[in-house]
Amino acid sequence: MVARGSGLARIGAVARNTFRETVRERVLYNLVFFAILMTVSGLLLNRLSIRQDEKIVKDLGLAAMEVFGLLIAVFIGVGLVGKEIERRSLYPLLAKPLGRTEFLLGKFAGLALTLLVNVSVMTLGLYATLLATGRRADPLLLKAVFPIYLSLLLTVCVALFFSTVTSHTLAAILTAGVVVAGRFSDVVRNMNEVLPGAPGWLTRVLYYMMPNFQNFDFKNQVVYGDPVLTATLAWVTLYALAYGAFLLALAAAVFRSREL
Amino acid sequence: MGASAGRILVLVLLAASIPLVQQRVDTVRGGYSAQEEALYLWSGEHVRRLNPGLENVMADLYWLRTVQYFGGQRIFSKDRRFDLLLPLVTITTTLDPRLEIAYRYGAIFLGEPWPTGAGRAQDAVALMERGVGNLPRSWRLRQDLGMFRYSYLGDGRGAAAVLLEAAKLPEAPFWLETLAADLLANADDRATSREVWTRMYEQADEPPIKGNALIHLQRLDALDAVDALNAAAKDLEAKLGRKPRDAREFVSLLGPRAPLADPLGVPFEYHADQGRFSISRESWLWRPTDRP
Repeated sequence: MVARGSGLARIGAVARNTFRETVRERVLYNLVFFAILMTVSGLLLNRLSIRQDEKIVKDLGLAAMEVFGLLIAVFIGVGLVGKEIERRSLYPLLAKPLGRTEFLLGKFAGLALTLLVNVSVMTLGLYATLLATGRRADPLLLKAVFPIYLSLLLTVCVALFFSTVTSHTLAAILTAGVVVAGRFSDVVRNMNEVLPGAPGWLTRVLYYMMPNFQNFDFKNQVVYGDPVLTATLAWVTLYALAYGAFLLALAAAVFRSREL
Repeated sequence: MGASAGRILVLVLLAASIPLVQQRVDTVRGGYSAQEEALYLWSGEHVRRLNPGLENVMADLYWLRTVQYFGGQRIFSKDRRFDLLLPLVTITTTLDPRLEIAYRYGAIFLGEPWPTGAGRAQDAVALMERGVGNLPRSWRLRQDLGMFRYSYLGDGRGAAAVLLEAAKLPEAPFWLETLAADLLANADDRATSREVWTRMYEQADEPPIKGNALIHLQRLDALDAVDALNAAAKDLEAKLGRKPRDAREFVSLLGPRAPLADPLGVPFEYHADQGRFSISRESWLWRPTDRP
């Protein structure tokens, strides 16, 4: 199953298997719920919202993309390594010429691919709903979709890291906790206003340590047609790459030293 | 085969029984019953904090709920209480301060006199002022604020000032300045009121805002018709030496001087003791301030 040859090929093989596994686990069934949500929104919102249907369809579509993606990233992400250990399917794999880091990266790439398919199909669904309701397929929406995908990748990194250090359940709780906390980074940053006694260094450390998921939220700007600068997106991408790479490296280090 | 067919039959029968039983429940409990509305979170900030990153969707949901709540109270509720209207609109606009429609419609829902709206003119104007603060470049919001100041608060001078501000904004229509001047000159005039609502009717894109302006115009028509009828009734009283006994006698003696029904087709009420007509309480054009 695992290809001989270059490391990249081996990572690719694990990624393909992981993608197939998520498809077999019916993860992409969430697309059915998304389709129902979009259809119902398209049909009903014009009557219910007083001419706000376009805005609400966009809001709902982008939010659903994020929420469904997050659920997949957290709950599938924490099982990527843990499940293989619990099912003991990891041992024959590691007996082959496959490094633990390669295995981890392959798992990450596989789930990243699943999420890419998920987000892409949802984006097409959102555009189809807009077109079906006589609205324009606004290309600006992609400037919100791309950062959502980045945030999902970072969530997978967090989940993978926790799945290498602790049990499946605890990893899910910790990942969910970090993701939620990362959405409150403005609260952490302004903690001194609420708690004037809190040391400034502690606030700063917390702020920079926690993955800042607010960075990836461009939904509001995009829905209202505000410009999103390419430079901003580039910095956000760089942030996701840096933080994600750090977490994967940390996860790989822990996984390599872990006794199986 | 027999067993599985039996199981399928049971499933089909059970599924078919659900709508039948629901119909019986509806019959026993009556048709639509206005639900006891409850608001568990009264602060937009709390809702925002509980849904980080999803503020806009929450604003949409609260907006949908606002529209349904207002419509439900107006159509189905017997006592037409609008207690949750202000908190719902406030939460919506706190979650999404740029949701222009929530200010415009929220102010109409709040400001229209009861029973058409909640009859909370001050709150309506305060909501619009908050909207103008959050969307300073929207001439429509300022125009609405001016019109609501004039219509709901009777503040012609304040309304004119806001309309003049609106006129300076990009894409603002040319007639805002003229309207402001008219308001300054004749704030208490019915003709000025007609001008305000005609402008609103002509330039509104959204059917409900257009509809609301139309109701105001129809009410002005009804008030003109009532005035004409009352003047005729006074003449008739002078001639007869008594007040007409009922609307039928009025018509038989004078013929219809003005339509005897308002523009919605609801007949005017005749008060035999006073010899006067007024807009019927049954009409959507009636306002609690109308004197019999």
